[in-house]
Amino acid sequence: MLRTGQNHHRGTARQSYQLLVFFVGGRRLAVKAVDVSGIFQWTEPIPVAGQTPFITSVVRQGQTVLPVFDLAASLRLTVQGSSPLCLRVKHSLGEMAMYIDEEIPVLHALDPATLQPYHGKDLPSDGSYTNGLDEIPILSVSQLGLNE
Amino acid sequence: MTGISLSASPSRFLIVLFGGRYLALDAESIQGVVTLEEVGSLDDPTIHGLVYKAINLADRLKILNNQGSAHSRIVLLSERGVQGSIRVTTVQGWLELHPSQVLPLSAQFCGPEQRWYRGMILFEKSIALVLNTSWVLDEQVASVEDSGGQGNIPRLVAAPKMSVNNSQVC
Repeated sequence: MLRTGQNHHRGTARQSYQLLVFFVGGRRLAVKAVDVSGIFQWTEPIPVAGQTPFITSVVRQGQTVLPVFDLAASLRLTVQGSSPLCLRVKHSLGEMAMYIDEEIPVLHALDPATLQPYHGKDLPSDGSYTNGLDEIPILSVSQLGLNE
Repeated sequence: MTGISLSASPSRFLIVLFGGRYLALDAESIQGVVTLEEVGSLDDPTIHGLVYKAINLADRLKILNNQGSAHSRIVLLSERGVQGSIRVTTVQGWLELHPSQVLPLSAQFCGPEQRWYRGMILFEKSIALVLNTSWVLDEQVASVEDSGGQGNIPRLVAAPKMSVNNSQVC
C-alpha cells in the first residue's frame, strides 16, 4: 500500500533517510520509515473512557489491541476521505495506531543535508524538509502523546 | 512426585454493555444481577437488608450513557464489606478466562484510567475493558466515612499506579 516517490534515485538510497509521506486532514506530514510497522485499512476504533489527551480509543487487529493516537485532533484537523487508512507506528511505550487520510502514503528518500529544524510547535518532530514552498515536518513518533 | 506446577485458576467475568462499550466485571465482586422491576422504585437497591447504593458510572467515567433500555440491568457489587450498584445497558453473559488472557491497558493511556481498568479482554470482534471494581466502590467508602457511620470499614486498596519514567510522563 505504498507508492514510491518520484525523487527516489538509486544513487542516493545508501545515504538518504527513508521517509513515509502521508496526509492528515489534507496536510502533508512525514515519518521515518523505520518507525512504521504497517499500513491498514480503517477499522472502527473502540472508545476507551479516559483522560489521556488524544488517546481515547483502541483498535483491534486480530489478537492485537493498539492504542489510537488522534493525530488529526491534535492538529485540529479532520481525517479526509471515505476510506481512511491506519498507520501502525513504533512508539517507545509500544506500538500505536494513527488514522490518516485515504491518500496512499509515498516513500521518499531524503538527503540528510536537506534536513532542517522544524519551527512549528504543533507536533513533536525530528526535523523537516522543504518541498517547493512547503515545509514538511518529520513526525517524532517516539514523542507522540508525551508531555502533552 | 516433585515439581508439580500449579497453573493460575481461571477467572470469571460478567460482560456488560455500557455507554456503547463492553465492560468486564470480575465475578468475585458481583452479588447479583437484577431487573429494574425487581428493584422497584428504590434509587438504591436493597437486597436481603443490604443497601447497594446506586453509582453513576457514566459520571465517574465521564462519558454519556443512554440507560433507557428495556434490557437494562442493575449489577450488585460488593468488595470488603462495601456495597454499590451500577445500571448497565445490557448483560452479554459470563466469560471464563485464564489470567494471561487479560491484556494490560496500553501504557500510552497515562491518565487516571490506568486505575479505572484492570486490563482488556478480547471479546467478539471488539474488546471489553475490565473495570476496577475497587475504584468503582471507592466513592462508596468515602461517603460512608464522611457520614461517620458503619464503623471500621476498610479502605479499598487502589490498583498500583503505573510506573513511568520521568521522561515519559504525559
